[in-house]
Amino acid sequence: MPGPSQTVSALRSLLAARFPERARRPCGGPAAAVRAIDDALGGGLPAGRLTELVSAVPSGGGQTVIARLLGAAQAARQRVALVDGADGFAPGEVPDDALRHLVWVRCRAPGEAFCAADILVRDGNYAAVVLDLRGCAERVLRRTPASTWYRLQRAAEGGSVAVLVQTTLPLVPAVPWRLVLDTPLSLADAGAPRESVAGRLAVRTERSHAPAAEALAG
Amino acid sequence: MRYAVLAVPDFALHALRRGEPGLVGRPLALVAGEGRRARLTEVSNEAFGVAPGLAATLAMSRCPGIVLRARDPGAEVEAHRLLMAAAFTLSPRVESTGPGCCTVDLQGGDPARSEALMRLRAAELAGAGLPLRAGAGATPLLASYAARCADPVLIVRDPKSFLAPLPLLFADPTPGQEEILRGWGVATLGALTALPKAEVGRRMGAEGVLLWERAAGESQRVLRLAEPARSFAAEWAYEPPVESIEPLFFKLRRFAERVALELRGAGFVAEKLSLTLLLEDETDHRREFRLPEPGADVDGWMRVLNSHLETVRTDARVAGVRLVAAPARPQERQEGLFDAGLRDPASFWENLARVAAIVGDDRVGTPVPTDTHRPDAFTMERPAEAVAPPAQAPVHPPCGPVLRRFRPPWPVRVVCDAGRPIRLEEGRLEGRVCAALGPWRGAGDWWKPGAWVAETWQVEMEGGGVYQVTCTGDGWGVEGMLD
Repeated sequence: MPGPSQTVSALRSLLAARFPERARRPCGGPAAAVRAIDDALGGGLPAGRLTELVSAVPSGGGQTVIARLLGAAQAARQRVALVDGADGFAPGEVPDDALRHLVWVRCRAPGEAFCAADILVRDGNYAAVVLDLRGCAERVLRRTPASTWYRLQRAAEGGSVAVLVQTTLPLVPAVPWRLVLDTPLSLADAGAPRESVAGRLAVRTERSHAPAAEALAG
Repeated sequence: MRYAVLAVPDFALHALRRGEPGLVGRPLALVAGEGRRARLTEVSNEAFGVAPGLAATLAMSRCPGIVLRARDPGAEVEAHRLLMAAAFTLSPRVESTGPGCCTVDLQGGDPARSEALMRLRAAELAGAGLPLRAGAGATPLLASYAARCADPVLIVRDPKSFLAPLPLLFADPTPGQEEILRGWGVATLGALTALPKAEVGRRMGAEGVLLWERAAGESQRVLRLAEPARSFAAEWAYEPPVESIEPLFFKLRRFAERVALELRGAGFVAEKLSLTLLLEDETDHRREFRLPEPGADVDGWMRVLNSHLETVRTDARVAGVRLVAAPARPQERQEGLFDAGLRDPASFWENLARVAAIVGDDRVGTPVPTDTHRPDAFTMERPAEAVAPPAQAPVHPPCGPVLRRFRPPWPVRVVCDAGRPIRLEEGRLEGRVCAALGPWRGAGDWWKPGAWVAETWQVEMEGGGVYQVTCTGDGWGVEGMLD
């Protein structure tokens, strides 16, 4: 009788054969320009998929990730949408040059953010859509029906946009990649170049799509 | 082909039906007269067992469920304007020949293009509830014969073979002429034109010659040209007033289809749309929409209008609606070779408009920091069409973690020791400060109203997290988190 790992492996192979589009590791998304994240995701944010980045501690570096993503997207001349659930983005913190390709949606409530993200993810003009839900009421976020997330995932799957969901607690069900920022930055980082701050960010991979891709490759 | 005729059979019936969604697919007949004298004038295909001329009471007994309506002059005017708008996209020389019929002078145009346009318009108008028949030929008369036989477009290239099998009734003979010709065994136009014209004239007089010429499709006439639309607007009054948005959507789409065609015919696109809802209490609700990208795409307009209407609440029922499109010349530009522009500009701008309808016009766009030292000063601007290449790296690259703002700042009481914050109290963020950087002092706009002064510190809390606290004229506040 095959062991559980063999059964899972066989099941993965079966699913990969039946649904090759789902199992294929997506690529072509923009780089986050944060080494730990790009390494965890295998080169950059996966296009056509959701990636959840959980800022488990205060000053975990989530905003630095957004700033670095904007810089990288500008270098690649790609367009980014930032759906800001709690209106926390500070334009003055990012060089002017890295703002010209940004579409910033300043929401007042998570409901607005979900509606806006649903529209923008379907638009074919963005390389990345960042849905930042940090700062939104946890109680409201926990009540978000799973169908909202599945709808967002289905919308992303059809296109070439990479969707980065920033949260303070794991929220997205069945998300292919969930990374956790669990090491806080300190005041000592305040004077360091941003590039080195980004280099110091530590990421823990809580959920990864990689095994399926490896199984496919193998 | 030199002339085209665009005609809608059973025009009054279709005009009525396209204005009322509830009539689609139901047996429908138009009635003239009142009481016992009421007779059917036009009958839809769905009404079995009845025919024009039948008494209304008899029609109701023969076809249960038939809807009997009087003609609707307002709907006919609107439908005729749509037809004229379609005609003006073929040529600027258009005659309004009659209700549901217009004649277009195609001379000088490219025949292949004209034919393609006629097919396109026929399909568009069919979608808009007007089953158009278009015919083209060397004379207006020949074109009108072609339109009567078309399905939906017929081009007459060989008039003789086209006319030969057509019944004599096409040439409108008088009852007397018809009787004489029947006696001669002439039943088709081909049979009549096979007779020498002079001999027909000798036996039937000048009227006979005219009939022969009509049968040969030779009758020429000068078109009475109509003026193209100069204002691109539509208005409708609801009787009774409406309470839900479905009738509004339906009517607005009909208007939009016509106005978009009028704009296209005049070589314009819409730059702005102005929507007015006339309310029952004699007030109105007005809204102007600057289209993200000027265009004449009805679906794009409807998305913009729908996004707004879905959020509108009025104090009274809607008694009328008015839609006005501001014309503009279409944008024509060539992309740079290395421009990273929009893949789908129409979808980009439409989606932005939809998002703006959700969060507000002033809360979507590209942020541009203002040239001031005032904290958090920026404006929201329209996103650029193309992503510009990166500029040279800044001399002073950005340092430190990025601030995530709390808008508005969280009020807090800051306990200081020797001018340095050591503890935060009485706010959403409380605790001992284990390290602090600062102060950064700033002031500005002291020469005008709205002067500001601020003292900023970055503090690291004992429980973790680096925050930015600022003291302004309103007291201390946590501006955000360094993240």
